[in-house]
Amino acid sequence: MLKQFLIPFLLLVSSVGVFGQGKFIAKNAYISFYSSTPMEDIFGESNEAVTILDSENGEIIFQGIMTTFHFKRALMEEHFNENYMESTKFPKTKFKGKIEGFTKDMLKAPVANIKITGVLNVHGVDKTITVPGTLGLQDGKLVAGSKFKVIPEDYGITIPSLVRDKIGKEMEVTVKVNYVPFAQ
Amino acid sequence: MKRLYTIFAGLILVFFSGNLYSQDLDALMNAETKPTIDYATATFKASRIINGHSIEQMKKKQLDFRISHRFGTLNNGAYGLYGLDQSVIHFSLEYGIKDWLMLGVGRGSYNKTYDSFAKFRLLRQSSGSKVMPISVSYLSSVELNSLKFDTTPIQTSSTTTTPRINYFSSRLTYVNQLLIARKFNENFSLQLTPTYIHRNFVKTELDPNDIFAMGIGARYKLSKRLSLNAEYYYTYNPNNKFTDTKYYNSASVGIDIETGGHVFQIMLTNSQGMREGTFIPQTTDNWFDKGIHLGFNISRVFAFN
Repeated sequence: MLKQFLIPFLLLVSSVGVFGQGKFIAKNAYISFYSSTPMEDIFGESNEAVTILDSENGEIIFQGIMTTFHFKRALMEEHFNENYMESTKFPKTKFKGKIEGFTKDMLKAPVANIKITGVLNVHGVDKTITVPGTLGLQDGKLVAGSKFKVIPEDYGITIPSLVRDKIGKEMEVTVKVNYVPFAQ
Repeated sequence: MKRLYTIFAGLILVFFSGNLYSQDLDALMNAETKPTIDYATATFKASRIINGHSIEQMKKKQLDFRISHRFGTLNNGAYGLYGLDQSVIHFSLEYGIKDWLMLGVGRGSYNKTYDSFAKFRLLRQSSGSKVMPISVSYLSSVELNSLKFDTTPIQTSSTTTTPRINYFSSRLTYVNQLLIARKFNENFSLQLTPTYIHRNFVKTELDPNDIFAMGIGARYKLSKRLSLNAEYYYTYNPNNKFTDTKYYNSASVGIDIETGGHVFQIMLTNSQGMREGTFIPQTTDNWFDKGIHLGFNISRVFAFN
């Protein structure tokens, strides 16, 4: 009789434990993008991106809220949200992917190069990308980073000919993360 | 039977936990996403709707250099190049001290006026975790008319005169406005502007020192970089007791064109003054009687951070 309840109970407890277990999170991940032309440099950054890494299978997810990106020039920030990203319609950017050839040892080794393949959603458009990155322990903490290029036009972001000379064809995206174990 | 039940229950739980495990990251992300306060931005393109102030103001450490022209009336015809031969100019420097406070100084050729203003943001329209349906700002401005004083002696009777005494304070006009705006959607914004103007010195004793007016302004976005604007100021107590000078409400339509760091505003208006103390109480041209002026504002923003 006891067994009859005990087994499901144990399973229930273990299933709850699985939720969130073996995961790493960062709630203030850094994302910036940069383009340089002779006319103007464009630079925006956010310290408020959220990312979760699943240590079981190497899945990784990012989410950034467009209005958390800040620029030196207030007008640039307004144009970024109003004219290019259309932040009211598409408030978030997301990435969900998997670390290629993931093993749990990667999380215990010093920082090493990795490759991540996944779907990047910007401006409501999904695109599968493979980007280089780094992952590993630095001073006993799990850190990750990446630097890659995106082309605004790939995500349906149109740049009028009038300002074409001021905005680079490619944006260099930089990501820096300090992960901490996920706590319920 | 009991054992079967146990296994079955166990399987369901295993299945359930496995399910949690794969939907995991998205669900976790949603759980970790904090609700945000979404402030309405770019209710208008520039700090002016057309002649009057909009709810917009310079953010901290941003400087706006504005140059405006209003030309003569269009009915000057080809001889006066439709008013372009005569132009009234105004330029100003406007700076964001804080995100909620902007100060500006300017000079206009209409009545040779110097002006200064302060715009305070009181409320910001927002949605999300904090809901505020409107944005409200307060504008306070002082205008100084620097035209040469009339020094002709005052005729007290057919033979006697007394010297005219002029005071500096006679040059000053004070403007107080409450800017109440709402961005209804991506394209449409509306603003109400209750206005109180005090003029220290007026032309005749029939002219009121205190002027009360209500402004209404709107913009409709035609595309990401082009918007259609309209603005109307209704004056409650204009002085229309004389037949030779009649004062009209200021009415304007215009478009805003945005080109990166500049905003061009091109308009048709019946007012030639470009500050509240002139275009609200002193508009003497009439849209329906050859009184339309072409004009433009150019705004160039510099960042100091």
